[in-house]
Amino acid sequence: MATLSVCQPPFGGFSFEYCKRNAVLAAEVAKVGCSIPAARKTGTTICGVVFKDGIVLGADTRATEGMIVADKNCSKIHYISPNIYCCGAGTAADTEMTTQIISSNLELHSLSTGRLPLVATANRMLKQMLFRYQGHIGAALVLGGVDCNGPHLYSIYPHGSTDKLPYVTMGSGSLAAMAVFEDRYEQDMEEEDAKRLVRDAIAAGIFNDLGSGSNIDLCVITKNKVDYLRPHDMANLKGIRTGNYKYKRGTTGVLLKTVTKLDLEVVEETVQTMDTS
Amino acid sequence: MFATQIHGDNGKMKEYHYTGPVEHKFSPYSFNGGTVLAVAGEDFAIVASDTRLSEGYSIHSRDSPKCYKLTDTTVIGCSGFHGDCLTLTKIIDARLKMYKHSNNKNMTSGAIAAMLSTILYGRRFFPYYVYNIIGGLDEEGRGAVYSFDPVGSYQRDTYKAGGSASAMLQPLLDNQIGFKNMEGVQQLPLTQEKAVQLVKDVFISAAERDVYTGDALRICLITKEGIKEETVPLRKD
Amino acid sequence: MRWRICFDVNGSGQFFRHSVSKMALANVLQSESVDFSNYGRQRHGFARGLYEAELGLESVGVDNLSFAVRTACSDGDGPERKIEFLHGTTTLAFKFQHGVIVAVDSRATAGSYIASQTVKKVIEINPYLLGTMAGGAADCSFWERLLARQCRVYELRNKERISVAAASKLLANMVYQYKGMGLSMGTMVCGWDKTGPGLYYVDSEGNRVCGDLFAVGSGSMYAYGVVDSGLKQQSLTVEEACELGRRAIYQATYRDAYSGGQVNLYHVHSDGWTRVSQSDVLMLHQQYQAEKA
Repeated sequence: MATLSVCQPPFGGFSFEYCKRNAVLAAEVAKVGCSIPAARKTGTTICGVVFKDGIVLGADTRATEGMIVADKNCSKIHYISPNIYCCGAGTAADTEMTTQIISSNLELHSLSTGRLPLVATANRMLKQMLFRYQGHIGAALVLGGVDCNGPHLYSIYPHGSTDKLPYVTMGSGSLAAMAVFEDRYEQDMEEEDAKRLVRDAIAAGIFNDLGSGSNIDLCVITKNKVDYLRPHDMANLKGIRTGNYKYKRGTTGVLLKTVTKLDLEVVEETVQTMDTS
Repeated sequence: MFATQIHGDNGKMKEYHYTGPVEHKFSPYSFNGGTVLAVAGEDFAIVASDTRLSEGYSIHSRDSPKCYKLTDTTVIGCSGFHGDCLTLTKIIDARLKMYKHSNNKNMTSGAIAAMLSTILYGRRFFPYYVYNIIGGLDEEGRGAVYSFDPVGSYQRDTYKAGGSASAMLQPLLDNQIGFKNMEGVQQLPLTQEKAVQLVKDVFISAAERDVYTGDALRICLITKEGIKEETVPLRKD
Repeated sequence: MRWRICFDVNGSGQFFRHSVSKMALANVLQSESVDFSNYGRQRHGFARGLYEAELGLESVGVDNLSFAVRTACSDGDGPERKIEFLHGTTTLAFKFQHGVIVAVDSRATAGSYIASQTVKKVIEINPYLLGTMAGGAADCSFWERLLARQCRVYELRNKERISVAAASKLLANMVYQYKGMGLSMGTMVCGWDKTGPGLYYVDSEGNRVCGDLFAVGSGSMYAYGVVDSGLKQQSLTVEEACELGRRAIYQATYRDAYSGGQVNLYHVHSDGWTRVSQSDVLMLHQQYQAEKA
């Protein structure tokens, strides 16, 4: 018992014991030729740009599991507060939960202060949280918003470092997107120009990076208005299959058939169509 | 790029200070993606492949078909490591020329398949990282497909998918051509039109979900009249 | 000579790689898909540094991890074996009064992917010799083809057919030269010679065993169970023996996920071998279910 308590770190904070354990487990499992279930990552292109009177954020909509497309139209621009939005790259669950936590904390904060939160506040909360977890939360973020001090744009790395720049990109397609920004960014652009620039940057990521794909989402934040455009543009259209792959009734073999009557009174019946795109 | 590092290192911070000896390794292989597919019919064969050449998350080429014409009645589809694909097809071509000169006739697809098997097995302890599928006409003029593993095990099939999206294409082909898992269906013989349509459709579907498959589809239709080629665009993202 | 190619994910500077490629490479080359050696050597700078420096417990954490590294990358025969393509299979051969029955399934797997359901796992060496295929498909078909050539040369030299014992020994000696280099082959050489029916088990480790009953592959235990219980009566007719072999493979495909497809059945008798039947296991399943009901 005594030795055990000696082993405890004498200060508060987080324990990363499980991280070490997981590394050992992963090695053990790899020996047998299996792998530990991986979290869904979004090989992503996200970016943002500051223009004359606001911010344009952009993201692609592909989520991958390994090299298989898991979601062809996922949403990567997350809500933080009415005047702040945040694009996420990295582990899908991490970006989603991190932005949700910060969003709810900021909501409480703005209820107690009675005003809209500052982008700098969101940035600081995010970086402090990510730093505490030492990069184990795999969230790479692009945070943008407009507050009483004007438009602000930050990029936040999983380890907690941040940059404040007029144009930023993140994710696996960041190089392709940054190339477009470096070429065509200008100070104090008009809204339409900024939107076109972000659209082209994301499109560059979509076409040149295998981890990014499908559609282009945009979010335009100005002083009193937020335009969440989803999708803003379909970068490439789905191929059209010409064959007929419908099966005739009775094609599937029936092994067993039991009919149980349900005595229910149908009060209301609605049909929901499933998204099968 | 920083983002790349973050993901590549599994969320661990890269060590910038010297922490002891580091082992550097050279890998003679890489994976360049791509899917190949071959279908045999009564008097024709189809070999199809996408034209994307990629590595990791980047695309090297959007116009690099993986079907190689060997003789007037034989086409081979190679996917896997592009370097090995090139070497292998070069060796096959050389061997075909040697055969032509010494025997004054072209090799049949069955003979090419047997030869390829020994070429592959010759590198048993340092394999060609290539998934090969041969499509062609046999001596009787019937369609033939031969599929290989990287070290030379092979067999004749009527349809086979190989490469990065093979696990997506094969089940659909099993169902549509092999009539697997269906009851009470008419097992009609595969027509040329139906086969080409099916090949196009399965590649359109594979391009939706496999990031290594896309850009364009190259279809080689082999009949006794010769080899007809067709290119169909696919998704480019 | 043992080569090893590590597929370095961390050091490549690329975004992490395609999982299929790793799978595929691992299957072919048998290297671990992820090289964990970095985890052991390059320490996680911040958190661990604090703990260890203050507590003087370096050995604990580091040993834990380096142990994992060692086991993950150990050069045991475990990794070398994975090269095989046809991992799971069920093959069966047994002697009885009227010769040898050879029964095999037809599934080829690469990891958890069914590469083919129509593999011919009985290799027809010549009209009176059969070999079965388990382990690496390429290894079996290549070496047994070479064996066929050797047998033919023997015939021409000696003006008589090669005995099963001699043929199996040729094969065993050929693959024994490559022992430890990663060949993977478990085969049964079946035939008929002057001494009557012959059945030998030969594998790439160098084993060569004469016997009356062998089953090889991941589903072999199930097949043994069926055949052992069916072989009790002294004299089987050819039909009974065929049915026993078919049933044994069917039961193995029923329980073993790595076996399946069709049951290929051969009978070796005094005039050489004959191919008795090829039956889809789904059809067999329905037939046996109907008989049970």
